[in-house]
Parts: sequence; C-alpha cells; structure tokens
Amino acid sequence: MPFGYHGRYLLIDASTGESDHIPLSETVLRQYIGGSGLGARILLDENGVGSHFDSRNDSRPHYRIADPLSPAAPLVFAFSPLVGSPLTTSAKFAVVSRSPLTERFNDSLASSGFAISGKRVGCDAIVIVGRAPMLSVLVIDDGNVRLQAADDLRGDTCQVTEEKLRARLGSDYRIASIGPAGERQVRYATISHDGRHAGRGGSGAVLGSKNVKAIAVRGTKRVEWAHPRELTELSRDLSKRSFGPATAKYRELGTATNLLTFNRFGTLPTRNFQSGTFDEAASLSPEQLSEAHARTRASCVACTIGCEHIYSLGDRGVRLEYESLFALGSLCGVGNGDAVLRASRRCDELGLDTISTGGTIAFAMECVERGLLDEPWLTFGSGDAVMQAIEVIGRREGVGQLLAEGSRRAADEIGRGSIAFAPQVKGLEIPGYEPRGLQTMALGFAVGARGADHNRSGAYDVDFSDKVDRRHATLDSVRHAIESEDKAALMDSLILCKFLRRVLEDFHGESASMLRAVTGWDVTPDELCETARRIVAAKRQFNLLAGWTPDEDTLPERFLSTPLPNDPEAALSRERLQELVAEYHRQRGW
Amino acid sequence: MYVEFLGIPRERAGLAELQVEAGTLGQLLGALAERCPALGELITDDRLHPSIAANLNGDAFVSDPATPLADDDRLLILSADAGG
Repeated sequence: MPFGYHGRYLLIDASTGESDHIPLSETVLRQYIGGSGLGARILLDENGVGSHFDSRNDSRPHYRIADPLSPAAPLVFAFSPLVGSPLTTSAKFAVVSRSPLTERFNDSLASSGFAISGKRVGCDAIVIVGRAPMLSVLVIDDGNVRLQAADDLRGDTCQVTEEKLRARLGSDYRIASIGPAGERQVRYATISHDGRHAGRGGSGAVLGSKNVKAIAVRGTKRVEWAHPRELTELSRDLSKRSFGPATAKYRELGTATNLLTFNRFGTLPTRNFQSGTFDEAASLSPEQLSEAHARTRASCVACTIGCEHIYSLGDRGVRLEYESLFALGSLCGVGNGDAVLRASRRCDELGLDTISTGGTIAFAMECVERGLLDEPWLTFGSGDAVMQAIEVIGRREGVGQLLAEGSRRAADEIGRGSIAFAPQVKGLEIPGYEPRGLQTMALGFAVGARGADHNRSGAYDVDFSDKVDRRHATLDSVRHAIESEDKAALMDSLILCKFLRRVLEDFHGESASMLRAVTGWDVTPDELCETARRIVAAKRQFNLLAGWTPDEDTLPERFLSTPLPNDPEAALSRERLQELVAEYHRQRGW
Repeated sequence: MYVEFLGIPRERAGLAELQVEAGTLGQLLGALAERCPALGELITDDRLHPSIAANLNGDAFVSDPATPLADDDRLLILSADAGG
C-alpha cells in the first residue's frame, strides 16, 4: 500500500447499516489521486452493473446510472493523500454523486475537520448507498458503522444539528449534516460541516434522499508519509509563501472585494443577467459593509490563508463570499447589505447553495416582471422578497415547491420561452461572471461537466489578463480554457485550495514534489498533466453514460442573442460559441 | 492621466484613484512606487507582482512596461485573482 493512503473505501448501505471495506489498487490511486478524481472513478465503479450492491453481480463492462435521488445512487465522500499532512489547505474532501439538479456528474468540495476525521476512520473514501428506513444519523467510529434514529433532529438547521450531535456523541466527532432543505430534497441543498458547505449541485438532497440527516466520524487510523522530512520542509515553505502578496486579496479583503472590480468592468451579473453593472454596488462592498458590521477573519482547518471574512449581524456572525453577495445581492437587484447578510445566513442555516438560490429567485423575479409568474411580492430590489423566497424554498411551500427544483425545471414548468433567460447551464445556475464580457469563462461554463461553474473552470483568470481579449474570444481561447479545467481537476484531486494557485509558481512541479513526499511515487509533472486529463475524461464518461448530448454544451439563449446592455461590444453569438465548443471537443480528442 | 485602484492595490494605496503623469506603463509604475510606498511589494522595478493586473480604460489588460499611455487614458490596477 502506498504511503498517504489506506488503500480502501468504506461502502455503507444506509438501508441496513451494513458496511464493507472495498480495496483500492495502487494503480487506481495513482491514476485518480483522490478528491474529485478518485470520487469520479468510484462513482463510475459503483454505478457499474456488477458493483458491490448490484444484485445481478455480473461483470459485464456496462453501466446503469441510477436516478440521483434513488436508493441505488452512490454518494461518495472522497479524501486525498494530502489530507492530514502538514501542507496548508489540505484538509479538504470532495462529495461526488450524480446531481439531482443537473442529472450529470457533480463534485462539491469543502474544507473542514470532517476531512481529517473522516480519513482517520481508516479509508480513502466513504460511499453511501441505500435509504435508511427512518431519518437517521450515520455514526462511523474508527471504521465501525451504526445507524441512529434522528427524528428529533428533523427540521433542525445544519448548525443546530452539529451542536446537538456533538453534545450527544462527544466533541471529538466531526459532523457533516443537511438542513431542512436537504431533508426536503431541494435540488440545490448543501451538506454542511463546521460552517462550511459542500455547496453546489445538490449533494444535500442526495443525502436527504437516503434519509440520512448527518454523518458523524471519529477515528484514530493515521497514514504514514513516505518522506516526512521532505514533506515538513515543503509544508513550511508553502505556508511561508501563503502569507505573501499572492493571497493578500483573500486574507485582507476576502472574495467579496470582487464585487466592485466586476462592477467596474461591467461584468457583475445584475437583475438576472439583464445588466453587468449595479448602481448600488458600492453599498455591498466589503468597505461599506465593514462600516456597519464588525468584520473578523477565520480560517479553515489546517489553512494559513484565512480567507473567511465574517460580518457581525445581531448576536452571530455571517461568513460572506463574493458568490453569495452577487447572487443574493446584485443578481436580485438588492443593494441593502443587511438584507444580503441575512439572506446568506438563512441559506447557511437551511442548507441551500447561495448561487443556485439567488439564481433561481432572480429568474423568478424576471418571470414576475414579464407577467409569467403570478407572485407580485417577488420583485427585484426587495430584500424582504428574497428572504421570503428562501423560506418557502427551504420548506417547499407555495411557489417554493417550484423554485426548489432550480431555474431550469422551473422554466420548463412556466414555459412561454422563459428557458431563454433561466440562468443555468446543464441545470446548474451560473456563478457571478457575466459570460458575454468574459468569454473564455463562457466557454468554461458551456463545457463544464457539472454545468456553469467557477470552481471547475477558472478561465476568468485568463479573461483578466493580457493573454486574450475577454470580449472577443478566438479559437486561441480554447487552450486556455482546457489548461484551466485541467489545473482545477488536479487541484481538486490532490486536494489543495485554489487560492494557492498563484503561490505555486511551478504548479505541476511543486504538485509532483508534494505528492512524491507523501506517497513515495516517482511522479513527474508530465504524469500529473496526464492524470488531470484522465480525471476530466472520467467526468465526461460519467456524463455520457448519464445521457449527455452535445447540445448541452451551450449557454442560455439570452447570452447568445443579446449583447450585454451596458457594454454592446460584449456580444457572443451562437455560431462563435459553437465554434469554440467544437474546437474544445477537438482538442480534447472527444 | 488617472489611475484607478481596485482590490488590494486600493487597500494599500488608501485611495480609489490618483492623477499621474507618465508616458509608458513602466514609467507610471515607477511613479506610483514613489508616491505610494505602500504599493512597494506589488511593484518590482517597472512591473507588477503576478497577483496584480493592469487594464487600460476597461478594455485591454497590459503588462509590457513599454506600453504607451496617453493623457486621457485611465489605468486600472487591480488584484489579478478574479475568483471567488
């Protein structure tokens, strides 16, 4: 068994509480590393006919991709070889499944003590299938699994659930839980832990469909490092560099500072992407929010960057990121900082992805504006309306039943051409980057395996550089989009925080050194480039098996037929996007 | 010409914009380093630190120190990491 791994995953059938350890070969581990990559491979294996819980148990090489909310659908919590090491930002894990929002591959990553404790139960991944007979907590104590009734936790917020379970089980347990939104299988519900979220794509709904309110992990099984002295030196050096100017933005201002920058460039999604500028942007800036709300900083476990900026609101703080700020603020036309902070906190409590929540609400607001939806209270600019919408989504009440399905399904239901302005790709709501003004990113959104996503493609970095003309993408943009996607796939599999990306000056070389120190493998930068491509291809393979068709790699009609109103030069035609996507597929060899 | 600061450059400079006379990007960065010493760690010789980007008039991003600047240009200096 290589250093850094346990060499197996823990497969749990929530229907019975039975579990088994499934071996992972060194070849598979080296080919997929961990996190998103390993999760993708396990997801494929567990959806294979002949998988461990498939009653037919034959070995034919074909797949039957389960409905994401069915008992047969696997939910994978994948750790990585770096988890538990002294490398900064390495306490991360990936939650991998078929998304109930997109029906495609989904991997949502998060940082917390859950990663460290989860790996210490003695496995490289935890895979859950089945459906518990009643709302339950899955307790994993050093590899021993038991189901506990959790009806007393029904309706509790993520935070209350964690508090109650730690009080009940012991403070040395780490908890990942769903809120009321996950229980009700809102299609963009999150899995929460230590105040962080595996946020996008609805992994919380998948856990909810298994009748599992929370997973509690505790363990003592540590792995060994191949070259501990070298690893310590690498870790010290990386930590030291992580304090420098390359991470100053995250440390000193937080991601919320993007808001004014994007507004200045006319790329701040506003009123459901009807504009790229927001008149009230200044009132949502970290500088102004800080005047009314004391701001403190916090870090994820094992992180030296400290990007979390927490604003006081009443007796508790609210962690606020750019994505939440844009989605619940400018996208809904809300310029009231207090209202956005309240809305963001409520999403955290209910266990809702703030991007999909804001995107779906903004879409509904435009439907109301156009007379397509009879909910007169749901108007752009109203912070109260956003709060009310969040509540009914979390409870699936009234119009919340429709909006809990996400903007694409809501548009399918509303009809009358509304799909043209539903802000989604493959069903996943678009994050805070106006595609017409950031066209390399537009390509990244269109081809993304999990839909419109800023974490699996960081192509906006290229748009904010002199390598491309951000408003006039050419075929040269394609290689940048591919490089960005490959880099993200590797970071999500090692796993390291993307906020380190400018710290790692020789990304592949340094990544190879880290992996070598942990595992002992003679891994090279070239091998990691190949690994990244393999991981991207594995996600693609899952999507093909799940029914992907080429016409999914596109953007909503709005972006392809209307120039950005505040910047007419920012126009992206359907033909241009099709050329870019075709060239992307050609360069991928697909 | 005017220089606008966003993100960390604004935090360091302590102001949103500044009027500077310079014929090229390199000259302008040199002038900024002198007038705003707090920007020092972000400017090495006549280039910006890789975590910082410069943009001309909201259009093209520029990095070549020889990039010519006109009196009516507005140069935006911002954190290069756009992600959140």
